[in-house]
Amino acid sequence: MRVAPPRGGPRLTDGRSAPLRRTLPILLATAAALAAAACGPAPAPDVVFEWRLAPSPPVVGDALLTLHVQDRSGQPVQGAALRVEGHMSHPGMAPVVAQAAERQPGVYEASMAFTMRGDWILLVTGTLSSGEPIEHRIDVRGVQPPAE
Amino acid sequence: MTAVSTTAPSATGRDLLRTPGVGAFLKWRHARLTLQIVALAVAVAVVLHGLLGPPIAPRNLATVVTWVHYRGLLVIALLAIGNLFCTGCPFVLVRDAARRAHAPARRWPRALRTKWIGLALLAAVLFVYELYDLWSLPAATAWLLLGYFGVALAIDVVFRGASFCKYLCPIGQFNFAASTLSPFEVTARDPAVCGTCRTADCIRGRRAPEAPATVLRRGCELDLFVPAKVGNLDCTLCLDCVQACPHDNVAIAARVPGAELADDRRRSGIGRLAARPDIAALAVLFTFGALLNAFAMVSPAYVLEAWLARAMGVTSEGPVLLVIFASVLVALPAALLGTAAVVSRCIIGGPGTAVRATILRYAIALLPLGFGLWLAHYSFHLLTGVLTIVPVAQSAAADLAGWPILGEPLWRWLGMRPGAVFPIQFGFVLMGALGSFATAYALAERDAPERPAAAAAPWGVVLALLAAAAIWVLTQPMEMRGVELPG
Repeated sequence: MRVAPPRGGPRLTDGRSAPLRRTLPILLATAAALAAAACGPAPAPDVVFEWRLAPSPPVVGDALLTLHVQDRSGQPVQGAALRVEGHMSHPGMAPVVAQAAERQPGVYEASMAFTMRGDWILLVTGTLSSGEPIEHRIDVRGVQPPAE
Repeated sequence: MTAVSTTAPSATGRDLLRTPGVGAFLKWRHARLTLQIVALAVAVAVVLHGLLGPPIAPRNLATVVTWVHYRGLLVIALLAIGNLFCTGCPFVLVRDAARRAHAPARRWPRALRTKWIGLALLAAVLFVYELYDLWSLPAATAWLLLGYFGVALAIDVVFRGASFCKYLCPIGQFNFAASTLSPFEVTARDPAVCGTCRTADCIRGRRAPEAPATVLRRGCELDLFVPAKVGNLDCTLCLDCVQACPHDNVAIAARVPGAELADDRRRSGIGRLAARPDIAALAVLFTFGALLNAFAMVSPAYVLEAWLARAMGVTSEGPVLLVIFASVLVALPAALLGTAAVVSRCIIGGPGTAVRATILRYAIALLPLGFGLWLAHYSFHLLTGVLTIVPVAQSAAADLAGWPILGEPLWRWLGMRPGAVFPIQFGFVLMGALGSFATAYALAERDAPERPAAAAAPWGVVLALLAAAAIWVLTQPMEMRGVELPG
């Protein structure tokens, strides 16, 4: 049985043509549009976050996130509308979403539940009383199984 | 030129190329180009969002598309049809564009015409994925993709044919291995027609009659000669042979998935499987790599890492992972397959049953189980996170437009519950294990026709152990790390 083609013959050249030339501008335009998105959201306002999780260290199950939000001069930031999104470090996993309520001036609390062991990213988003958007990322390492 | 002799069987199953609608599309001259353009557009979006978008994996197209959707759809396409992702490979589109400016002149070195470099790269990708937690790093994912484009381009503007695909591409090697379990195969529709063919356009390309130096339609770049092609190994389903054949004699025919694994005929562009240690190693890496990749996502993996780190007196993850990889990808297969081969040799006896030769012959039987485990793992991520592409695309569009043009991201859109996916995962592993048992038995029937069950038994034990390990991994609680690089 032959397992190779007849030998000899001229060197192969490829005769592919036009469609790529027509589609390249579309691809480049898409690239440019996405690059424009790189400008992204406006820079975050001058706000400092401190946070605490209970229980600590965090375990699978209910958790309370407490946020102390201050401006650079140390004054509490009041009247912000904050929301917490909890994401696993791996994409495609169920996030948890919670609204944060202001318990004291500049102190916000959000009740949430860690649904899986591992590393979590908590994304605090919302607006200040002035309407300025705000975003802050909190990395939570090694959520453990609940105590027996 | 001489006529081509062939012993290939006729394509008797359903032919995709004669299926209404699908067949017309696949035979369309620009079918592959269309798929490649779509894939390239997705790749561009992935790279740009990975580099410029939010650095949070679940909110970035790079990580969501690459590690949830691409991998899941890849294995499901391989299971349902065949190597469709190689068909639409965007690297080849870019390569073809580059070759218009710089035609390659060299042939890939003869000494390197094996899978060994591709295997090393596949192992390296699996290692780097775990070491740097690539699933959690959008920018690194984008750079990985860019690097892939760069290497593919660099190789293929220097070397003719599909050198990168055949010998180097880690994804390609993965796809080649998995496509042995696909239900369709490119083959000659009627071997008698190939027997009378005098031009072999399917591999040499269709030439312009008035200018024989010009190839109008490219032939197979992977050196697979359709009349002597057996199975899907090394086939990128590029459709070049379909386009080039002047007799319309190439079919994408239905077949029994995995049956080619027990086919001992000499294969065009490959040779005999039993004489290819690199392909046996591919089967081993594919299968034990599936086990390792799934194991790395469950809690016991972190317990093992912590224990090893203490035992080795190290604080960084690299050396620990190196020990785990060497153990699972080298030491464990050597021990299991070596033992099975020795026992098998004792049972069969007689000449021609050297341990090494026996391992080379039976290692290929691992592939169905390996594919079952890859399916179980990747389909879990796809099925549980299939809808996450919606909020991530909404979020990307909002970044682009400056306001939520597609609405507020629906972060609660996910997919199936993990518990609901487990029976599917279990089914994939079970089907894979059964396929591996059947392959080992088919091989044993030929080696020891008097005692096939006894000859296959040692391999059955190895496969049962691996299947049990796979089921155990799937039942473990998931635990995913990766907020930052390990220190």
